[in-house]
Formats: sequence, C-alpha cells, structure tokens
Amino acid sequence: MNLALRDVRRHIARFVGTAAGLGLLLSVVVAMQGIYAGMVDDATILTRAMRADLWLVQRDTVGPFAEASRLDPSVEARASAVPGVRRARPYNYQLIQREHRGAVLRIALVGLGWPDDPGHTLPLVRGRHLAQPHGEMIVDASLGLGLGESLVLAGEPYRVVGLTRNALTSGGDSVAFMTVGDTQLVAFDQSAEATLLERQRVVERLRRTDLGRGQPALEDLARDPRWRAPALASPPLAAVLIDADPHRIAEVQATVRRWGDVTVYTQGEEETLLLSGVVQRARMQIGLFTVILTLTAAIIVMMIMYNLTLEKTHDIAVLKLMGAPRGRLLGLVLQQAWLLGVLGYAVAYAIGELLFPMFPRRVLITTAISVIAPIATLGIVTLASVVGLSHVMRIDPASALEG
Amino acid sequence: MTDAVRAVNLSKTYGAGAAAVVALDKVDLTLPQGTVAALLGPSGSGKSTLIKALGFVSPGDTGEVFFEGRLVVKDGRPLADLAQLRRRHLGFVFQKANLTSFLTARENVEIACEFGGKTDGRRRARELLDYLEVAHREHAYPEMLSGGEQQRVAIARALANEPSLILADEPTAALDSVRSRSVMELFRKVAHDRGAAVLVVTHDHRALDVFDVLYEMEDGRIRPSAHRSV
Ligand SMILES: Nc1ncnc2c1ncn2[C@@H]1O[C@H](COP(=O)(O)OP(=O)(O)OP(=O)(O)O)[C@@H](O)[C@H]1O
Ligand SMILES: [Mg+2]
Repeated sequence: MNLALRDVRRHIARFVGTAAGLGLLLSVVVAMQGIYAGMVDDATILTRAMRADLWLVQRDTVGPFAEASRLDPSVEARASAVPGVRRARPYNYQLIQREHRGAVLRIALVGLGWPDDPGHTLPLVRGRHLAQPHGEMIVDASLGLGLGESLVLAGEPYRVVGLTRNALTSGGDSVAFMTVGDTQLVAFDQSAEATLLERQRVVERLRRTDLGRGQPALEDLARDPRWRAPALASPPLAAVLIDADPHRIAEVQATVRRWGDVTVYTQGEEETLLLSGVVQRARMQIGLFTVILTLTAAIIVMMIMYNLTLEKTHDIAVLKLMGAPRGRLLGLVLQQAWLLGVLGYAVAYAIGELLFPMFPRRVLITTAISVIAPIATLGIVTLASVVGLSHVMRIDPASALEG
Repeated sequence: MTDAVRAVNLSKTYGAGAAAVVALDKVDLTLPQGTVAALLGPSGSGKSTLIKALGFVSPGDTGEVFFEGRLVVKDGRPLADLAQLRRRHLGFVFQKANLTSFLTARENVEIACEFGGKTDGRRRARELLDYLEVAHREHAYPEMLSGGEQQRVAIARALANEPSLILADEPTAALDSVRSRSVMELFRKVAHDRGAAVLVVTHDHRALDVFDVLYEMEDGRIRPSAHRSV
C-alpha cells in the first residue's frame, strides 16, 4: 500500500495547490535560463548564420560586431589564394536607423558576398534568397516588413524577398541581409551636392593629366549622371569570411596570421567575442537570480515538506508503534516530495508552453535546459525533504500512546 | 502453554536527582498465551510505562523482558530488531486517535497485515472488520467513525498480524459503559479464540469479571489485584 499517495488523496486540493505554486516558481527559474539562452543564441546567430570557418577582420580589432573593422577589399582576393581556402567571401556589417511608414527602424545591415553567397546559410522562414546583386534584401520578421515590401535606403528602394526569424544583434536590433555591394552603397550614401562636387573634381583632375587630355571622351563619361563617383578609392569591407578545407583550417589560420593588416578569428572565437560584452553581464545577473530563485524554491519546498510531516507526527508515531519499517516512513516523505516536484515541473512545463512564446524577449529552451530543469527539480525536492526526513527519524513511537 | 511475555525485575526511572520518578520498581510479570489480564492502579502508578516496556517501545532501565521465551531486552538494551518484533507479533490498542488518519478503516487494518508480512491483506482486513462488526464502515476515514467504531477498527488492526501479545492502554476511556464492556468482551474472545495474551489497562471496574487475571500497580510496583475476588 502506498502511504504517500493515500495521504495526498486525503488532502488533494491543498497538495495540487502547493504543486501549482511550486510550478510557478520553477517556471520563473526556467524562463530566466531560457531568456539567457535566447540572448546567447541571438547574439551568436549572426556569426553562426554565416557558417564560416575563419573571420578576417581589421588588424588588432575585435570586429566586426564588437567594434568597427575596415579591411582593404584586396584581402578577399589574397585570402582566396591561400592554399586550403575553398572560398573567401566579403562581409559587411553596420547599424543604420531609418524612418519607415512613420516608425523608426533600427537595422543591422549585413552584407553577403555576391554571387557566391546569396544567403544559403540563412534560416529563412518565408520567401527566397537573394536573386540579384542589387535592390533585394532578406530581413528579420521582427522588423515588421512584409514580403515584397520596399524600403528606401540611400535613395533607392530595396525589396524584401525573404524573412528570417530571430536574426537579431546582441543589442536586440533586427538584421537585414543584402549584397556587400548594396551595403556599401547604403553606407557610403552621398548627397547630390557631394556627388556633383566629386564629379567636378574628377573632371578637373582629368584636365590636369595626360590621360584626360589625350582622351576627351573620358570627360564626357565623368559628366554622365549615371556614373557614380566613389567617395573612397574603393569602399572597405568589415570582414572577409573564409571557408577552408576542414583539415586545413589551422594551416590557413597560421598563414593569414602573418599578414600585417588582418586579425583572424575562428567561428568559435568570433562567437565568444560577441558574448563577452553584453551577454557576459547578463549572465552574471541572471545566474544570480537563478540561484536566489532556486534557493527560494528549495526553502519553500523544505517548509512545505516539513509541515506535511509535522502534521502527520501522530500518524507516523502510530505507524512506528506498529513497527513500520523505516524505509516505508521515509518513503512516505520522499515520495510526496517527488510527487510535488513532478507536479510542479508539469505545471512549469505547461506555463512554459503557453506563456513563454508571448514574452517580449525570446525564451529559448535549449536541450540542456530541458534536461537539467527536471533533474534539478528532483534534486531540489529531494534535498528539501531532508528536514522532513530527519523529523520522521526523531518521532518517538511511544508518543502514539500519549495521543 | 508458553508465556507470551515475561518481565523480570524490570525497573524504570524518569529524570534524575531530586526530580527522579520511579515509574517501574522491580516489576515481575508473566502473561501466558490465551489469557486476558487487566492492569489496574491509580494515575501515575506506572501502567503506561509498563505497557511501553512490555511492548518494546520504551525499554526499562534495568531488568529483562522475554518474548515467547526469548530474551529480547536486557537492562535497556535491545537484543533483537524491536520494530520487526512489533510488526510481526504485537498488537496495540490505546485510548484514542489510534488509527492512521489518512487511511480508511480497511486500509488501517490492511497496512498492519502488510507490516506483519501477511499476504492477501485486503481480504484479511475485510474478514477482521467483519469479525468486529464494522465491515460496513470499511471505506470511512477515522474521523468519520464513532468512538466505538474507531476502537473496533483499532482492535481489528491489532489482530491483523495474528499477534501473540496484545497491549491495550485504556482502550475504553472514550466509550460508554455498554460499549466499553463489549470491547472488553472482545479482548476476552480474542485471547480465548486466538490464543493471544492480552493485557488491558483500565479504570473501569464494572467490567472486571471479563478478565482471567487482574494486576494492580502502585508506585511502580505490581501485585495481583484485590479485585480478583469480585
Ligand atoms: N516521559 C516521562 N518523563 C518523565 N516522567 C514520566 C514520563 N512518563 C511518565 N512519567 C512519570 O512516570 C510515572 C508513571 O507514569 P505512567 O504514565 O506510567 O502512569 P499511568 O499509571 O499510566 O497513569 P495514568 O493512569 O494517569 O495514565 C508518573 O509519575 C509520570 O509522571
Ligand atoms: Mg497511562
């Protein structure tokens, strides 16, 4: 006969109520961990989505996310030539803020190397990858733009052709992916006045050089409104991504490290760089909250288990008098603690399924969380029943006769 | 006829120094199987203390207690697993709040069968409740039972493991005299039908004719009762 269940049956409403309370508390603990995991995931999604083996950034910077990085475009060609490199892709990253339909949009622009990288590595939820080198973009659904909608950047419309989910920066800004060329156009957007002045400067330079004097047609070309003068000789890249032969990554890394103008990071290092800033601080805070909440839950369960045992003191004394084996009485307390834990966890699980998707920040229940949470719950309720167990041990069977 | 339980030179003192209370003073007592004995005496004379010592719940300080001829407690030290002895061979009935509150009448008996190593506890529990004429209340919790019904369930529980010794400490204190007498008669029936030794602490002098033997305690000492002749 299971004594624990018999006792619970007698006070079922109270027991379920207690389990529900514990469940709420557990759901908060799990939510904290889930929010943290969501932050980590958000923070690293940018690097992970690119699926590169190595990131080349400006020498002695921790770019391109934590700080600005400017690489000469020639790095792409140089990297391609390194033995062991399968492919080198240009990459750009920058934050912009624009008004669209009356709302302020903060967008992190990520440039993909065209035509090698039309966004195949991105987890699209709707739409398609980039199909042309200019005027298309893939944006995160959190931006609120629909498929086919156009956003005007640097005076030109960019059409949304694909949507991702959870492509956010560690600051929570939504990401838009376009070709590197387009990001450079947007980044080095010039006013008409600046273009005219630049054009004028080119014409004057042509007139001063033998080349210009010998080829008057060049001057006409420079005056053509369709011609865009570059603001810089050639716009820099934020990074160059390298896909290497799997077994030659270290070799490629060693080669590139000798170059004077770049610093090279592995995919893992780049993720760590992203995490070390914003997320590291959040980790401390959330870790602390988790510890406090876990302790609170443990203490509450401890009090509950102690009270449940305390009010059964006489019953337990009677059972002891009858010669009940010790294991049966300890089992009574332990099994109730476990039942409380299981019910509490079930409540927390249900809350998670129902409410977490409505949270403003993403709650990511990783495999680790979904494995550790129930085990930890079981551990907590087991530990918390120690006080109850020691009370059971101390009950004197003779006290049953005094009742 | 073997002795169910035998106490030799059993003493117990509560406290120490000036506050010391001698609850048992060199008690010698033998209860043969199949006898029902009453234990009388004024309040504070040591009756409950003796019940606890004979029931292997709180042993005396000095002296010996034999169970079915085997020395089980010597000078306060257990020589056997006392809890096991209780669940296999002893039955207890006491004044009130006897039963486990979260178990139904039948479950209270069933759990004792289980502890006593009896198979088919449910059937046995029903039979015992039937024997004690409370079978119709088998699904009731103790708090829903009348005092007399509770006591009969408690007796059924005390019988569950077919004990050689039943100890009852004022089992009828909460009952009217009619019910009280019927409980005492039940103990007699159990002793004579089932061959158990039964020791009942009672203050109720109207039902003493039910008992085979009467003992009287005073200041921790025991002697055959003067009421014997009644
Ligand atoms: N746990 C204890 N600590 C100290 N003294 C005790 C304890 N239990 C009993 N006593 C004392 O031992 C003596 C015998 O007590 P006991 O309970 O055996 O008496 P009793 O004959 O059962 O009395 P009653 O008829 O009132 O139940 C009393 O003087 C009592 O005060
Ligand atoms: Mg007493």
